[in-house]
Amino acid sequence: MHFAFTDEQLALGATVRDVLRAHCPPGALRTERRPAWDRLAELGFFGLLLPSELDGLELGLTDVLPAVEETGRACLPGPVVETAVAAAFLVPRVPKLASGGVCVGVALPGEAYMADADLADVLVVARTGGGVRVAVGHEARLTAVPGVDPCRPMFAVAFESPDRPDPGWSWGRGGGGADRVALAVRAVTVATAAQLVGVARELLAVSVSYAGVRRQFGAVIGSFQAVRHKLADVAVAVEFAAPLVHRAALSVDRDAPTAERDVSAAKAAAGEAATLAARVALQTHGAIGYTEELDLRFWLARAWSLAAAHGTAAAHRERVRAALHTRDLRRYP
Amino acid sequence: MDLDFSPAELDFRAEVRDWLAAHVPRRLPPMDTPEGFEAHRAWEALLAGERLSVVSWPREHGGRGASLIEWLIFEEEYWAVGAPARVSQNGIFLLAPSLMRFGTPEQRRRWLPRMATAEDVWAQAWSEPEAGSDLAALTARAERADGGWRLYGHKTWSSRAAHASHGFGLFRTSGARHKGLTYFLFPLDEVAVRPIAQLDGLPGFAELHFDGVFAPDSMVLGEPGDGWRIAMSTTSSERGLTLRSPGRFLATADRLVELAADAGPVLADQAARCWTAAEAYRLHTFATARRIMAGAEIGAAASMGKVFWSELDLRMHELALELLGDRAGGTPWLDGFLFSLAGPIYAGTNEIQRNIIAERVLGLPR
Repeated sequence: MHFAFTDEQLALGATVRDVLRAHCPPGALRTERRPAWDRLAELGFFGLLLPSELDGLELGLTDVLPAVEETGRACLPGPVVETAVAAAFLVPRVPKLASGGVCVGVALPGEAYMADADLADVLVVARTGGGVRVAVGHEARLTAVPGVDPCRPMFAVAFESPDRPDPGWSWGRGGGGADRVALAVRAVTVATAAQLVGVARELLAVSVSYAGVRRQFGAVIGSFQAVRHKLADVAVAVEFAAPLVHRAALSVDRDAPTAERDVSAAKAAAGEAATLAARVALQTHGAIGYTEELDLRFWLARAWSLAAAHGTAAAHRERVRAALHTRDLRRYP
Repeated sequence: MDLDFSPAELDFRAEVRDWLAAHVPRRLPPMDTPEGFEAHRAWEALLAGERLSVVSWPREHGGRGASLIEWLIFEEEYWAVGAPARVSQNGIFLLAPSLMRFGTPEQRRRWLPRMATAEDVWAQAWSEPEAGSDLAALTARAERADGGWRLYGHKTWSSRAAHASHGFGLFRTSGARHKGLTYFLFPLDEVAVRPIAQLDGLPGFAELHFDGVFAPDSMVLGEPGDGWRIAMSTTSSERGLTLRSPGRFLATADRLVELAADAGPVLADQAARCWTAAEAYRLHTFATARRIMAGAEIGAAASMGKVFWSELDLRMHELALELLGDRAGGTPWLDGFLFSLAGPIYAGTNEIQRNIIAERVLGLPR
């Protein structure tokens, strides 16, 4: 047993982190819709999960998890998980996917709205029970719906044209559409959970920094137990959410019998950790945190929007509860 | 990264499971009664006969030289089958790691094998009436005597001391707050012991009065003045891996889910949440064990684990009482609840742990 990321997995994460630090600084969140995407494409980021015959690196979800976490930490805008993760399962044959030349929007089964659909060259609506409805940008009519995250706008999607035949972009070999959709849902949920861990880590880091410099009553507020104990609680929540996310990635890669439940456990814990981190970050910053002027707002919004994406914590806890109700208490490992 | 047990680890799990299934006693009397204490010692001697009482210790001290992962496996099986709580836990989980690291070869030879078989049962003597969370404020002292030291002062909340044979604790050998403390081992037979009943009515605590009890130099662990450093390494292992392994909470969580099987969605949701949290502690521990096996120190990060497991344990037992209502009496859940209430207090209160996390993990100023 080696329950720690390998040097290669960590190196990929560190590379993405460096790229995002340089090309997705907080200021870019106010001016660009897809900062750093070109740089990530140069790294091969969007082909990490694709098979080699589609010019991908054929990595597993576990391999890319540290890198995905970094996209959350940087609050990277755009349909990152949709293009880099969901598309690899749903429409791996979309031209130029591996090279990052195409941006994919995805709505998973049961989801009313699509995030970042305005950026999507290809829109994919996955259906319960398998099958996808694909459209290129101009074939879809988008209606913006109000949302919490200024860098992750949501859209209602209607198709102008009748259902067209699959242009050969989806799985193709071996059929198994329902399995592919189910796999995509799992992978996207785990990747989103990893982003939430990244968001939570950044929220904690900026809160700790602020608590270390903001002075009241002649002392930095981070010296007050009422403040520091809340920050400690965030540290604990993140520390114990992360291993559930890592395990879920392994469960998906290995197709463990408990994968469904492990994914839900991970998303619930990561969503709760990030929500707590956001709550404490805002309270630590006080009034200045409650403004659009401070960059903190982007991470708060991302915590809220990703916590709601692909199933809220409550919805996923309900799935865990239902799974346990069958008395199947087996664990992975 | 993987979560695969090796074939040897799977074999070990099977061996432990089979042996425990055949030998675990039905419910023993409570360990803080005289007959329960002896029954628990006898059980641990039986375990030791199979080299299962301290599997991760070296063979010469009564263990099997098992890896940390194997120890975690042992603990999972031990608690899953409902085996008795460990009467020797203060010795094997708190003192032994310090003895192995700071003891002389003679001290290790002399004390560890007898601890493994529960021939000696050790009580811890940290707290004093005026030194609890502020442990370094302690005033019990040791004075130089011919060939050793004489111990004076007053210790309290000493777990297991009512029945144990030996104790270990810190005594002041000079005025310096931290560097004036020395780590002593002592037999309890010359110490005045006043048992103190805990919330369950049984004498799990005791007060210790030292009036010149002689401790030869061979009973000093490490150098005089090194006590604080050694004790902190002990509490680090206590908070970290050794005292409360995940196996115990996994077993509780499984039983809790069973208990909540017919409950309404609100309580069942809370049970599922606890079950997931126990899994999180398990997975986190596998990662920590890997780091320790690779030579890393866990240090202050152990405080995060202590906060997490102690509050999880309390939450699980509180929920069980919610589920049972007035049927809780006479079930193990009531005793478990009382025990879980101590978790956020012992081994450094959770308020102290949160301060440690804030300062040493997050880097916040004092």
